[in-house]
Amino acid sequence: MTTRFRWIAYAILFAVAAFSLMPFAWVILASLDSNATIFVKAPETWTLQNFVAVFRSAGGMQLITNSLIYAGGATGVLVVATTLGGYALSRYSFPGRRGLMLGILLVRVIPPTATIVPLYVLATGLGFLDTYHGMILILAALEVPFGVWIMKGFFDTVPIEIEEAAWVDGAGKLQAAFRIVLPLAGPGVGAAALIGFMGAWNQFLIPLVLISDQSKIPISVGLFRAWVAYTNVNWGLLAALSVIYIIPALVFYVVARRVLQQSLAGGLAGT
Amino acid sequence: MRRVRGWRDALTVVGFLSPALVLVGAFILWPAVWAVVQSFTNRALTGPGAQNPSFVGLANYQRLLSDTGFFGSIGRTAVFTFTSAVIGQTVLGLGIAYLMAERPLWKLRLAPVFAAVLILPLAVPETVAALAWASMANGTEAGLINRMIAPAGVGPVSWLQDHAMATVIVVNTWRGLSFAMVLFLAAFESVPSSVLEASVVDGATPWQQLRRVTLPMLRRQILIFLLLTVVTTVGIFGLVYFLTRGGPGSATELIGIYIYAQAFQFFEIGYGSAAAVVLLILLIAGGVYYVRLMREEL
Repeated sequence: MTTRFRWIAYAILFAVAAFSLMPFAWVILASLDSNATIFVKAPETWTLQNFVAVFRSAGGMQLITNSLIYAGGATGVLVVATTLGGYALSRYSFPGRRGLMLGILLVRVIPPTATIVPLYVLATGLGFLDTYHGMILILAALEVPFGVWIMKGFFDTVPIEIEEAAWVDGAGKLQAAFRIVLPLAGPGVGAAALIGFMGAWNQFLIPLVLISDQSKIPISVGLFRAWVAYTNVNWGLLAALSVIYIIPALVFYVVARRVLQQSLAGGLAGT
Repeated sequence: MRRVRGWRDALTVVGFLSPALVLVGAFILWPAVWAVVQSFTNRALTGPGAQNPSFVGLANYQRLLSDTGFFGSIGRTAVFTFTSAVIGQTVLGLGIAYLMAERPLWKLRLAPVFAAVLILPLAVPETVAALAWASMANGTEAGLINRMIAPAGVGPVSWLQDHAMATVIVVNTWRGLSFAMVLFLAAFESVPSSVLEASVVDGATPWQQLRRVTLPMLRRQILIFLLLTVVTTVGIFGLVYFLTRGGPGSATELIGIYIYAQAFQFFEIGYGSAAAVVLLILLIAGGVYYVRLMREEL
C-alpha cells in the first residue's frame, strides 16, 4: 500500500521538478548556441562565443559593472545599517521598542510598486535620478526592515554574559560590542548581506523608473530593453547575459541556503 | 537586554538605530505619506501640472471611482492573487511539501534532491524567469509548450496573446511554489513525531492525521505564509510587466502596472498616486493582520 503511494508521490515530484526546470532549457541551450533563436533547440555548433561576446562588448561589461556597483553598494549600506540597528534592538530596552519592532514589520508589506510614483518625485528633488549613490541608498532601504529583524534575531542568540565578561575585563561597551559580539553574530551579517545583495541584484522596477541614462542601467533593465526590441536581438548574447546574471544569485543562494532558510522559517515562526 | 540608563546609553541607541530608521523613513515611509498628499493634487510629469501642481481635493478619487480601467485592474489583481498565490502557491505548495516531509511510516529518500531542484525558479532574478517563459510560451509552432501539445493535435496556441492572464498565473505559481514548499517542508518536519505516532496508535488514517493533527498544529504558520504571499503578489510588477506589459489591451494590467502606466506613460503623477494610495490601504490592511499574528511571539 505504502509502496504504491510512494511511486505516485515520486511521479508527482518528477512532474513538478520538470515543470520547475523546463523554462531554463532555452536560457542554457541558447547561451551555448552560435546561431540561437528565441526557440529551444539543440545548438548545431556548441560555442562559448556568446559569453566572450558579452564580456568583450562595451555594453555587456557596462551592464554587469553597473549591477555589481548597485548590488555591492546596497549590500554595504544594508550591513552597516542593520548591524547597528539590530544590535540596539537586541541589547537595549527603551520605551517604544516593541512598537518600533512591530512598525518595522508592518513596513515590510509595502512594496516599491506602491511607492514608486512619489519615490520618483523624491529622487528628482534629491538629484538622485541617474546616479549610483541614489540607487544604492534606495535599494538598501528596501531591504532594511527584513534585515533589521534578522540581525536582531542573530544578536539575541549571543549571550549578553559574554559581553559583560568583557566589560569586567575593562573593555568599553562599544569595544565589547564590536570586538566580541560582532564576530559571534557573523552568520547574521552574512544573512543580511545576502538579502541586500539579492534584493538589489534582482530589482527591476526602481532602476526602470529612476535610471534613463543608457550607460547606468543594470542587467535587469538591459534584458528588458533588449527583449522589447525583439526584432533585432542577438538571442545568444541575451541568453549568455542571462546565465551570467543568474550565477551570482545562484551561488549566493547555495552558499547561504541554510542560513536563509532558518531566517525565513524564523520569520514564519516569529522567533 | 538592559535598560537604557543615562545619556550615553540613550545616545548609543539613537545613534545605532538612526541609519536604519533614516533609510526606511526617507525611502519607504516618506514616499508612502507623500503618495497620500500628491493624490489630492493634479501633479503631472510634464506640462503645467509639473510646474504648478494645485490642490484638487477628492477629484482624483472621484475619477478612480468611475474609471473602469482602475476597477478592472483591481479585479484582475484579485483573480491573479487568488489563483496564483492562494491556490497555486499555498495549496499546491502544502501538498508537495507534505509528500516530501518525513514522518512515521513515510519517508522519500530522494526528497532532499527534489528540494534542491525545486528551489531554482525562486533563485533566479525575475527578469530571467520572465525571459525564459517568454521563450516557453512563444505563440508559434516552435514554442516549447506548443511543441509539447502538438502531438495531441492541439495548437499552436498564442499563449501571451489569447491566454495572457492564464499564462502569467502559471508563471507566478511556478516562481513562488518552491518558496512555499521549502517553508512548509520545514514546518511539517517540526511537528513532533511522538504526536503523529500517538495518532497512529489511536487508529487515525493518514488523511485523518493530516486533517485533525498536522494542519491544525501548523495553522498559524500557514496563515502567516498566506498573508505574506498574498501581499507580495498584490504588489507584483516585474514578472508580469516584462512578459506582457499589461497587455494585450489591458488583459494583464494588474494594479501595479496600472499605477506605473498612469504615472510614467500618461504622466499623471497625482492620479497615479491616488491609485497607489488604494493599493497601500489594501496592503497595510493585510500587514496589520500579519503584525497581529506575529505579535504573540515578540
